[in-house]
Amino acid sequence: MRHNNITLADKVLLSICIFLSFYSFVYVKEAMPKGSEVRIEVDGKLKYTLPLNADRTVELSGVIGRTTIEIKRGKVRIKDAPCTNKICIHEGWIERGSIVCLPNKVVVTVSGPDKNKGPDAISG
Amino acid sequence: MQSADKYRIALLASYAIALHGLEALVPSPIPWLRLGLSNIITVITLFFYGIRPALMVTMVRIVLGSLLLGTFLGPAFFLSLSGGLAGTVSMGIVMTLFPGSFGPLGISLIGALFHNIAQLSVAYLLFVGKIEAILVVLPFLLAAGTVTGACNGIAARYLVREIEAAHQKKENG
Repeated sequence: MRHNNITLADKVLLSICIFLSFYSFVYVKEAMPKGSEVRIEVDGKLKYTLPLNADRTVELSGVIGRTTIEIKRGKVRIKDAPCTNKICIHEGWIERGSIVCLPNKVVVTVSGPDKNKGPDAISG
Repeated sequence: MQSADKYRIALLASYAIALHGLEALVPSPIPWLRLGLSNIITVITLFFYGIRPALMVTMVRIVLGSLLLGTFLGPAFFLSLSGGLAGTVSMGIVMTLFPGSFGPLGISLIGALFHNIAQLSVAYLLFVGKIEAILVVLPFLLAAGTVTGACNGIAARYLVREIEAAHQKKENG
């Protein structure tokens, strides 16, 4: 007679599938910041668009001097700025929102993952 | 192939098409998410007649089903085709490699899993081209595939049991 019960292999497989489902949620959440980008604007003009997940240090010249921007471990900060009050440096590391340096007219913005780039729907 | 087998395949395929059409009426919150009800028929065919009839039922179901729904040779058709074939072939291979270890529940889960993997791969290669869009729907599809695969597997299990009981009754009486 054919096997027609819920076998041990079935249960193991079901557990694996449930685990995979949960794990994929966690995995995708971690992998997703790929969609996030850092936009650096100087004096209202977009200078750089960088991925948030690639560590990098960028030095650029603003209105009054050079600003150093550091991207590390999915976060971004202004490392060094020529201004006097250093507000932008005190903002520290950010992963969303933006840092604005008024004296040097540098704006660093983190845009979240764009989830609406794919097709609206493909049914199958 | 004997004519009795042909009739059986035709009958099973028509059941599958009916379920396929029925399921097309159900609205889906996520792209590519389907209940996969016709997979119940594929599992039953695999259990009673083996991989080749199951493949045939799947092919007939996909081609005729898409003709009826007006999706023939459209994107949905290729997604359906890749998913259906991958699901059926994977279930057949698992049943051949590990005979008797998996019941309908496990086989149905295998089918759902590979159906989703194949569909997402084809969607990525042919239509989307953006891995992010695939990654966003992947967890939902895997989770949904586990739930629908398990439900369909349990439904298939009851059906296999009933059909076997009916067969035995016929042989005994």
